[in-house]
This record gives sequence, structure tokens and C-alpha cells, in this order.
Amino acid sequence: MSNQEVQLSEKQNEPAETVELTREGLYFTPAVDIYETPNELVVLADMPGVRVEDLDIDLKDDTLSIIGKVPDPEQAECFLLNEYRTGSYFRSFRLTDAVDQGRISAALADGVLKLKLPKAAKAVPRKIPISGG
Amino acid sequence: MYPWFSRRSSFRHEMDRLRREMDDLVSLFTPRRPWSGPLWREMQLFPLLNVAEKADSFVVTAEIPGMKTDDLEIKFEGDTLTLKGERKPEEAGEDVSYHRRERAVGAFQRSLTLPAKVDSERVSAIYRNGVLTITLEKEKSAVPKQITVKPE
Repeated sequence: MSNQEVQLSEKQNEPAETVELTREGLYFTPAVDIYETPNELVVLADMPGVRVEDLDIDLKDDTLSIIGKVPDPEQAECFLLNEYRTGSYFRSFRLTDAVDQGRISAALADGVLKLKLPKAAKAVPRKIPISGG
Repeated sequence: MYPWFSRRSSFRHEMDRLRREMDDLVSLFTPRRPWSGPLWREMQLFPLLNVAEKADSFVVTAEIPGMKTDDLEIKFEGDTLTLKGERKPEEAGEDVSYHRRERAVGAFQRSLTLPAKVDSERVSAIYRNGVLTITLEKEKSAVPKQITVKPE
């Protein structure tokens, strides 16, 4: 086993501000990785327990929201240990013009959402050839 | 009476976040004080476990999103369940710059002793939607037996 210990996986329970307050239940902010390749931005979000049919991705007014509903767990008779709570997930991101909003794609596997945000043509870096005089 | 207190304004929310980040920053430079936070936070427990006891079984669940089942190792010895694994970073390739890295990666191990005899032949594990569920059936002798009292 390597010495590198996993960082804690605290679920942040921050009521998201832009979520409608009429929503019932507990919402967590999923941990995300965001990285950029020359052609796209990739967002990875940890949303354990969310099934594909319970995932909603909304794009409105340049705001991309991800909402993952986790069905209520069946009531256990007795918890010997209860270290984490389950609840739904919400997080939103503001997109800039650099993202081609029409070509966003998403995939959910093993509780990890992968969003691919292709860059708009003008945001892809292009080498401009310089002709010598 | 104090509407600014009962409602979490975005300013308050930001202040909370700032304070937490400052705490994290300070904790980098100060020696660890045990018991200054939740137990699992100080001990960096991963994954967090929920253990439910049913009449004839124990159900252990853990949220470990993004694992390959090959990277998970579950052992049951005596009355101790050991969960081992490694969460590998996503292979993003070269020429990649990270804007955010919040998802944890690395190796982890947790052990758990169960309070009743478990039939080691009947331990099963399922990994679904990033949640690992281990079901351990109790040994016959450990299953509580209902005794009805008959009137005389």
C-alpha cells in the first residue's frame, strides 16, 4: 500500500444558493475536478448513489446546473455506524462564451459524472503562421 | 426577529467558506491537535461507512465513486471485515491544465469488527452507482430467535 493517504471525503453540505428553496431534502455539493485540454473543458463530479435517470443537467442563461437525486434509503432497523448521510447533489457553473454550449455531452458511470464542454471555435488556440518579410 | 440570522445570506455563506479555508490553511502550519474536530476528519477516514444491523444480517455501505471493481479488495477474517482499495486519478493525458482538483485519490484501508458471528461463506458485495454495499449474513446461532410465550 502506498503511503499516500486519501484526503478526506467530507461531503460539503452547503445549501446551494441558486437552487429553488422549495426543494425538499438534503443537498450536497459534489466534489469536482475541472481540467482543460486544448479542445475542451472536462468536469468530473463525484455523485455516488445517483442513477442515470435521476440526474438532471440544465443549461439556462449560461448557467450549467447539475442536480442528482438520490432516492431515500430504506430505513434500516438499526445503525451500528452512521458516518455519512445520503442526499441529493447540486452544483452549478457559469459558462463563458469560450464553451460551445450546443455540443456539451455528459456521461455517468460508477457515480462519477463526466461533462465534456467543447471549446467554441474561436477559443481553440490556433497557431498563426508568420511569414517572413 | 433576526431575519439576517435565520436566513443564510450569500454573504454569510461566503464568510463560512472563508473561515473554513483559513482553518485549513492554519492547520497546515500547526501541529495536529487530536480531538479538535470530528473524529473522522482528524483521522482522515476514507471511505466513510454506514453499518446497519438487520435481524439476520449486517449491511455495510460506503460511497466510493469512480472505482474499478478490480481495485477494491474485501476480506473477511474471523469477525473483521477489511476494505482496501485505491482510487486512481483520471488519466487525463498530457497537455492538460487543472482548474480544480477536489476529488480525492489514493490508497485507503478500513477495518471493521462486527458485533456478532457472521457466516464467512455468505458475505457478498455489490458495487453500484459508486456505492459499495457489503452484506454479511449472520451465523444461525447469532440470529435472534423469537420466543413466544404461551398462556397457561
